Amino acid sequence: MKKSSEVHRHTILIANRGEIAIRIMQACQKLGLAFVALFTEPDKHSEHCVLARRLGGEKSLFRVSSYLDANEIFAVADESGATAIHPGYGFFAEDYRFAKRVTQRERKLVFIGPSWQVIRELGDKINTKRLARKLGVPTVPGSDKPVTDDLEAEAIAKSLFDFQQEQGVNDPVILVKASAGGGGMGIEEVSDMDKFRAVLRRIKNYAKRQFRDEGVLIEQRIFDFNHLEVQILADRTGQNPVHFGTRNCSVQSLGRQKRIEVAPGFDPTSLRYAFDARKVLEDITEYSLRMAREAGYDNVGTWEWIVSPTGHPFLMEVNTRIQVENGVSARIASIKGKGGVDLIAEQIRVGLGAPLGYSQNEIVLNGVGLEYRIIAEDPDNKFAPWVGRITSFSWPELPWLTMHTQVPTDREYEIPTDFDPNLALAIIWGKDLAEVKARGVEFLNTLSLAGENASGEALKSNIEFLKRKTETVLVF
Amino acid sequence: MIDVKDLLRELREEPYEKIVIRAPHSGRVEFVVQEPGTKVAGASGTWKETSGTLLARLEREQNKKPLFAPQKGEIMSFAGIQSGQFVQAGQELMTIRHFLTREEVIDRILRRSLSLFPAPEKGKYYFFPDVDIKIKTKGSQTVHVEDGMELFILSRMKRETSVRYSGPAGIIYAVYFETNDSVDRNSPLIGVCPESELGKIQEVISRVQSDWEERD
Repeated sequence: MKKSSEVHRHTILIANRGEIAIRIMQACQKLGLAFVALFTEPDKHSEHCVLARRLGGEKSLFRVSSYLDANEIFAVADESGATAIHPGYGFFAEDYRFAKRVTQRERKLVFIGPSWQVIRELGDKINTKRLARKLGVPTVPGSDKPVTDDLEAEAIAKSLFDFQQEQGVNDPVILVKASAGGGGMGIEEVSDMDKFRAVLRRIKNYAKRQFRDEGVLIEQRIFDFNHLEVQILADRTGQNPVHFGTRNCSVQSLGRQKRIEVAPGFDPTSLRYAFDARKVLEDITEYSLRMAREAGYDNVGTWEWIVSPTGHPFLMEVNTRIQVENGVSARIASIKGKGGVDLIAEQIRVGLGAPLGYSQNEIVLNGVGLEYRIIAEDPDNKFAPWVGRITSFSWPELPWLTMHTQVPTDREYEIPTDFDPNLALAIIWGKDLAEVKARGVEFLNTLSLAGENASGEALKSNIEFLKRKTETVLVF
Repeated sequence: MIDVKDLLRELREEPYEKIVIRAPHSGRVEFVVQEPGTKVAGASGTWKETSGTLLARLEREQNKKPLFAPQKGEIMSFAGIQSGQFVQAGQELMTIRHFLTREEVIDRILRRSLSLFPAPEKGKYYFFPDVDIKIKTKGSQTVHVEDGMELFILSRMKRETSVRYSGPAGIIYAVYFETNDSVDRNSPLIGVCPESELGKIQEVISRVQSDWEERD
């Protein structure tokens, strides 16, 4: 383990964009670390470029051709004297080959994230499923390896339909997923064998286009489930994982993209559940820690769970990276009595080799956190992204509100189409569920977001959708 | 149909284009060509298998990427960057004056003659898998399109949507985008020619081939 003074000698290259780049810059500033940021042509007006120049000067910002060109990132790291790379939550964050290259190239760098061996082990849905099954952690019924052969895929699909019928499921449905996918991309559901063949072909084509890997997973579709997560953090010893509680991410768009996250994951104090919700939260936390210990987990990570209406949890996958919604868990946490927890700063600190420095019983969770993903999209039209120019974006300063955004508030902004459509994250705290919901709606009512596209049509956003969904968050 | 004669006259008045060579990615540049006025060759061969003149090398992570002249012409100017300097993606390195070839003149005329189907939104475009296979195996001119036909997949912001072709029925005479490139809104995706007008297009091509003199 390294001393804190050694940690301060690092310069972090931020290999990502938008709001996560901003949060990493802010975390570096808190830790007294220098940083180098990147941008691409479509992102030149992003606020992350403005902040990089303000906090780090002109020389802290480099223009690159792509955020996904590893060689180019290394060239910038060498030119700028960076000693560590933070991949944010982009593709490189879960690419063990990239993490390995970072640490094994001629001029070695530190990878801010789990070690490449851990990413390889848990970043693969199949390995994760096998590890879970070995440790007695429940997983969703279905294939435990990527399937590329159509006949094999059909046999698995048929057996899953038969299995559900035997279980008394009236309308069995299965999911076909791109095995290299993630973040809700490349998933379709099927309700009969005739449609299965067409869906299989579509997902394989999609997977080949997006991930250059046509392997698919075939699983039982569990209906009306809640999507929960457990936030884990550990240092480089890989021996002392702690958790920062659970999150509920069940409010999603049609494409299974998260829109609202709430921490903790259920609220048995104010809501009635058909099962022992407290026990489910304890169980998924314990299962996640069990796997983290077994894998020697050594940075931040998220265990993603499906909880059925009967309260049965199934492990879905492990995201071996910081997630968009980490802030909602940090918002309700205090460490050794101190609030204002910054999980990204914690990730950097332990990633650079500092010891965790606290144990589970020194982490206290208090109140309820609510995160809104504010997006220019049309919820009434299958959440189709709205593309155009934002002409105004503002919100009131409130003590219980934290905003993270790459969208400028002092000038107009053209939404780039090359990236994830998130415009902003709003994190709200309340002492209980009722208060956080009231504050959430208050915030949304005062949020101002306007713009127009090339055809003169007014900006469409998910604000009304978020308001509607706030009413029933955590109800299950 | 357009007036080919007029268009050729217009092109002859300014028979070249300025090609700005930019750093395709960040890295350390080492110039090979160093003098303005130097003649350079473009890629040649049936499949452009012979590279053009080596202009510079751009090093990143110990990989020296050669930057070849994309077209023949002469170096007009350099952007004031020294060999050994670190350049950022998109930074201007030099400018080449390139005299239009017959193929380029044909391309310009075709873009005015064909029915162009523009990208309705900015994003990455792919042909529908069945069409894609046909184009890859038999060429785009074997694909017949009709108004309302689902032809493209538009990928942007983690979403894929289908895009229907709208315009006259015909064959895909030219494809103007590459897989995985981001296409700007209103940039042409394909040029369509009704089967009945194929003869006229061939006439235009023959006319350019006989009338346009290429310059070094």
